[in-house]
Amino acid sequence: MSRSRLILAACATMLIAAGCRPDPPPPDPVPTGPTAEELERMRQDSIRAAEEAARRERERMEQEAAAARERAAAAARRTLMEVVYFDYDEATIRPDTEERLRAKLDILRDTPGVRLRMEGHADERGTSEYNFALGNDRAESVIRFLTGFGLDMGRFSSVSYGEERPVAQGSTEDAWAQNRRVEFVITAGGNDLGR
Amino acid sequence: MTTRGLRWLARTTVPAVSLAVLAAGSAAQEEEAAIPGVSLGFVYEGERIPPIAIRPFTGGGPASNIASIIATDLDYSDRFYVRDSLPAGVDTEGIQYSLWDQYGVDWLLTGNIDSEDGIAFLDVELHDIVFSSIRSRARFPIPPPGHEGFRLAVHQVSDAVVEWVHGDPGMAASRIVFSMRPFGNPGSKELYVVDSDGEGLRRVTWDDDLAVSPAWSPDGTHIAYTSFKSGLPRIYELNLADGSERTVEGSSGEQQFSPSYHPDGDRIAFWSLEAGGAKGISTYNIREGCCLIRLMGGYHQNIQPSYSRDGSKLAFLSNRLGSQTPQIYVMPGDGGDAELLSPYRYGQGGYFADPDWSPTADMVAFAGGIVDQRVYNQYDIFVRDIEAPDNRIVRLTTEGNNEDPSWAPDGRHLVVAGVRSYGYGVFVVDTATGRTRLLVAGVRAEDTDWSPQLSWQGGGVETGGAGSGAEPGDFR
Repeated sequence: MSRSRLILAACATMLIAAGCRPDPPPPDPVPTGPTAEELERMRQDSIRAAEEAARRERERMEQEAAAARERAAAAARRTLMEVVYFDYDEATIRPDTEERLRAKLDILRDTPGVRLRMEGHADERGTSEYNFALGNDRAESVIRFLTGFGLDMGRFSSVSYGEERPVAQGSTEDAWAQNRRVEFVITAGGNDLGR
Repeated sequence: MTTRGLRWLARTTVPAVSLAVLAAGSAAQEEEAAIPGVSLGFVYEGERIPPIAIRPFTGGGPASNIASIIATDLDYSDRFYVRDSLPAGVDTEGIQYSLWDQYGVDWLLTGNIDSEDGIAFLDVELHDIVFSSIRSRARFPIPPPGHEGFRLAVHQVSDAVVEWVHGDPGMAASRIVFSMRPFGNPGSKELYVVDSDGEGLRRVTWDDDLAVSPAWSPDGTHIAYTSFKSGLPRIYELNLADGSERTVEGSSGEQQFSPSYHPDGDRIAFWSLEAGGAKGISTYNIREGCCLIRLMGGYHQNIQPSYSRDGSKLAFLSNRLGSQTPQIYVMPGDGGDAELLSPYRYGQGGYFADPDWSPTADMVAFAGGIVDQRVYNQYDIFVRDIEAPDNRIVRLTTEGNNEDPSWAPDGRHLVVAGVRSYGYGVFVVDTATGRTRLLVAGVRAEDTDWSPQLSWQGGGVETGGAGSGAEPGDFR
């Protein structure tokens, strides 16, 4: 209850009792309103809030873009490092190997800073010394395929581990098939991926 | 004819030392050996193995230990039949030739340990029982049994005895190096060395990576090998005396494999793969650190060079006839045209690898076989005599798997990394009799290489030298 209402109520009581005249109502308080400074501050505050929101939105979009780039980079890295396989005592490129190499080719064209080391491997059959040569034939075969599409030879190096680093143990067709392979190691330019 | 007369006849008949082949033993073996131009058999034809007795050595101390090491060595030499139970009441002073003749031995070895100024000397005498005379005698310094050179010093005595009787070098004072995965670190391979009698197995590299294809220098003081310890396979030469290393110069990114020493001990041949695809067999002077020469290149693989005993030729492996049929070839030691050495026939297939040239003759041992690609781990050892006019090749082994043959300094035994029904191991095969001895049991060894003759006083022994003062002579 406002103060004026209290006074009116009091006067009404007194009027009945003594016939008094009510006091004139006090003037309405002058509407003071925000000062110029306050207005300016509010304007600045709203600008800041808008800017903040825009910044957050921008960051969110940047993060999303970065995450997308990250995903793309990871996908590119996975594609580049995907192992390729060979037939027994052969270094020729099989159709499934060619498919994987073509996928690598697309990435390598887009990222000229990326360098790869091809690591050739053989299964345990055959002598260990011959398998060093065979593992290297496979690595060189992969390099020849890629440079055949115009990629710079200087981006690639090779090493042969022969039969010394099997991924699958055992003397079965399945284990041998997994061990006749070339692995890929990114030696430079990995940060260029996904850009 | 008396037994003595038979023994006399055997002694005076010179055994054939040309490549000859025994008739295949059984029909099954005949069938198994069905590679055209290849026969199953042995490198030397049925040589009579003379019986020898070793009288207990006198002089006390390590005498009986020494005699027992020598008895084992002479047995392992496959050049003697060692009589291990002696007749009762053998003489200890003087030699009663008639008694030993009755016992049925051709040879008798006696020995006495004698200490002079704290140094022990072993005096040995080799008695020719058939001719009732001393064939040879010599005095050998022997370090005390705790000394690292003790067993090698005794092995040198054994080699002297082999040389006195047969005129050929022995192989007791020698060692074998091979590559194997160490316990607890299956991702790596290290080099191990073992004595010719299977004693003293020890590790010589700690690369913590792949250490493979070792080769002894001709003087026995160095081992050249391939190690991945820098990230790429490169050749290192390890000085066994002080552990220091030399390397082979090469372009960056170059991979180097499988060194083989020229008999001059300065040059090595090896094969390499360069970044960019160039590859082939080269030679390099590792003593001077110079003079890299490419002997053979090309599209195909040309790998695993092995020098002949005089360095004039190189045996090597090439897949120029097809990727699945690697074959052994021979070319001049300074490069040139290559000739096929292994038993290739068009359409027949075949996989041959690991050539190793004999240190005493123009013979090359190699591993392989006419194998179907689905057959795994079934290689045999073959020997090809370059001088033989009939191009005949002998297949020495008939069971399990056999790889990485390397000749002993006697030019008669081969060490082989292999598998038998009872497991993996390092084996010694006598090319004359086919007798096979398990050198190191239960190890999955590779790249076996047999040293030259070694001396306990350091380094190797020139072939033909058989210890101090060991002159074969007639002491009748």
